[in-house]
Amino acid sequence: MTDVIIRTENLIKNFGDLEVLKGIDVSIRKGEVVSIIGPSGGGKSTFLRCLNLLETPTGGKVYFKGQDITDKKMDSGKFRQSIGMVFQNFNVFPNMTVLDNITLTPILEKKIPKAQAEEEAMALLRRVGLEDKAKEYPRKLSGGQKQRLAIVRALAMKPEVMLFDEPTSALDPEMVKEVLNVISDLTRSGMTILIVTHEMGFAREVSDRVLFICDGIIKEQGSPDTIFTCPRDPSTIKFLSMVL
Amino acid sequence: MDKTIRLVQNIGKLLGKYPNIFLEGLFGTLWISAVVVLAGTVLGLLVATMRMSKAKILNRISDIYIEVLRGTPILLQLYFFYFAMPDNIPEAASIIIALVVNASAYISEIIRAGIGAVDKGQWEAAKSLGLSPKNTMFRVILPQATKNILPALCNEFITTIKGTSLASVFFVGELMTSFKTAQSATFLALESLIIVGIIYFVLNFVLSRLLRVLERRLAVSD
Repeated sequence: MTDVIIRTENLIKNFGDLEVLKGIDVSIRKGEVVSIIGPSGGGKSTFLRCLNLLETPTGGKVYFKGQDITDKKMDSGKFRQSIGMVFQNFNVFPNMTVLDNITLTPILEKKIPKAQAEEEAMALLRRVGLEDKAKEYPRKLSGGQKQRLAIVRALAMKPEVMLFDEPTSALDPEMVKEVLNVISDLTRSGMTILIVTHEMGFAREVSDRVLFICDGIIKEQGSPDTIFTCPRDPSTIKFLSMVL
Repeated sequence: MDKTIRLVQNIGKLLGKYPNIFLEGLFGTLWISAVVVLAGTVLGLLVATMRMSKAKILNRISDIYIEVLRGTPILLQLYFFYFAMPDNIPEAASIIIALVVNASAYISEIIRAGIGAVDKGQWEAAKSLGLSPKNTMFRVILPQATKNILPALCNEFITTIKGTSLASVFFVGELMTSFKTAQSATFLALESLIIVGIIYFVLNFVLSRLLRVLERRLAVSD
């Protein structure tokens, strides 16, 4: 159990009267790649957003490396630096260049010298094939390029966990692959990854474990082979029969 | 026709004889406007921050502040500060403070709306990176909000500059006071008024053009 990096305990989230998460207990091991699948409105994204407190849980606990981050005394900025997040809508900063998007937080919050931050940023950009865009503003990038930028922007903080919230859902079909390739490379680097996705083939290929979340609870979980070839829960069977 | 020619001649004479009255007025309007616009923006930013803060009590205070200032005439507010300020504060200062306070209420609402128009995803991205609230505001949100805010703020600045004319009621040195001075010295009321009017117009015209250039510059990232 020592290598558990994120653990939730009876995680509950309500929006007004709407119960979105009804008690989620899960442990994520260091280096594990976990895909989260399930029908829309089932609580997948909300669950992910509770892990870095973009949503404040209504009840239950979230532990990051053994520390309860739902504790009000926790410095949320600090642990968020260790948990990178990539959004469906990229959310790159349009008011600064590609390079500044990446170096902004390392320079301001980690006090990394500018030259070093830029050097590391360029290395990251090379990794995702965007080095020639360093001085451009995001408006000149395609959706796929924006998402690759968003990924390396998060990586520049050297996080221990990466959360992906439907990273390819807002992309044109021809750009999905370039983004999935980057994520796929990342899964081989030993990074702990949680990814909410509708790309079932991808989930099956890269994950160590698949969580099926529906109606605010984990209905079923297991290895990709188990989930995709012999699901047991009726709601999983129904969902998979519709998407596969 | 004769009347018009005489008017133009008189304006020329007036400018030739008393250029300093108008220059001093222009100077007064310029520095009072600058102070009111700058201090009003800083105070407005503060009020907007209070209005958007999570603390209920700060919300309440800023809400009342804005409603009272928007719901009462500016001339009344000037009189209020004129009478209410301690005796050791010069009258001109009281009037300028009143103008700053008034402008801050309007500017804060403009800033709040501009910040509100920035995509929620920008806050979330900054948060998820671990960027501090202060850096998020000044590096990510405000630069984007400025673009939304600028046109409305430009209008407000022009309103503010015109609003400084009310200081003439209290004989604070500015353009409208120059008009009164010139008029009482020469009895050329219409001529003085036209001169002052042209100066106001040119001032605001130049300002709005400058801000339009700035707007275009800021649009670089769109």
